[in-house]
Amino acid sequence: MPVCAAPSGRGRAVAAAPVAIALPDDTVTPSSAGRPSQPHAPRIVAISPDDGSAIDLRNPAIAAALSWAVPGLGQLYQGRTHKGSLFMAAILTTFVVGLWLGGGKVVYASWKPNEPRWAFVCQAGAGVVALPAIVQSARLLGPARQPLLGGAMAPPLFPGQYVSRAYAERLAADDPDIAAEDFFDKPPLKQFRRDQLAIWHRRLGRFFEIGTLYTMLAGMLNLLVIYDAWAGPLGATDERNRRGTEPLTGKAAGTAAVPSTDPG
Amino acid sequence: MFPLTTLLAPLVCASLAHAAVLPAGLLAAAPLFGSLASRVPGIFFGLPLVALASLIFAATHHEDPAAIRLATVHWAVWLGGMLGVVLAVVLLLGWMQ
Repeated sequence: MPVCAAPSGRGRAVAAAPVAIALPDDTVTPSSAGRPSQPHAPRIVAISPDDGSAIDLRNPAIAAALSWAVPGLGQLYQGRTHKGSLFMAAILTTFVVGLWLGGGKVVYASWKPNEPRWAFVCQAGAGVVALPAIVQSARLLGPARQPLLGGAMAPPLFPGQYVSRAYAERLAADDPDIAAEDFFDKPPLKQFRRDQLAIWHRRLGRFFEIGTLYTMLAGMLNLLVIYDAWAGPLGATDERNRRGTEPLTGKAAGTAAVPSTDPG
Repeated sequence: MFPLTTLLAPLVCASLAHAAVLPAGLLAAAPLFGSLASRVPGIFFGLPLVALASLIFAATHHEDPAAIRLATVHWAVWLGGMLGVVLAVVLLLGWMQ
């Protein structure tokens, strides 16, 4: 039975691919009790750098995708509840605080040739919480010319941009810095004649940059969380690179400690 | 510890009792927090980010909660020290001009 070697000591920290481990033949998981013994599919595990125990990564691709969608959700899927809840609370809180500091204006997607919003590339790392910005950008530039939900996460209007009459009237009514005179009447649309990004910067001051920084950092740190869901902790030892040559020893041999996920 | 608990208990009870109106309360308090935030020097907004980065770095390098806590402190000292040195160099350069 090919199995993985357990770490025999602490080495330098490396980023290594997860290791496939086949369970011993005599291992009976609760889900397979009472049924004929079947060979177990190899599990993908990482070796904890702290105590050498095996961490069941389940399906790393699904875990990584879940961790991108909602920070920490991939770790929860893998049964690593403590880390999952920690990641979720830390990253989502930072993202929301950054959004609040920036007056709800700092997360938007804009790909205008002279003014692309590169910060959104980092913010998108935080997952689905940033995705409404793409929808709003598409809505504002599409035939509707009007974002959803009153324009939350919508990109700023640039001079000469056409918007729907309803959105122009809503902006004039809700935004204290925009008046009805700021739009040219171009039936059936309206054309904005100012630069809304400059308005936001003047209103928010330094908080526009601070909020952008918070949301960007939340997205970038989530990349580490995604990698953690994909391949386990970064602080693993060189021993993780060895596979399929020696029997399990030490704590890593305790496959029973790995949460059972094999239905067969 | 006991007096602190005694002081906090009514606040906790009041918060729980008003949980139904908490969202409205938060919205109402947002301008107050905004007013407070506008008085905070900009450099202090970096401290939560240092703490966050330290926590995420530590948690992605370890699995054991105790090891994560220890590594968080280690990373926070390292990051804070490095940024402090950069700040000192910038201040020194500004002073020399």
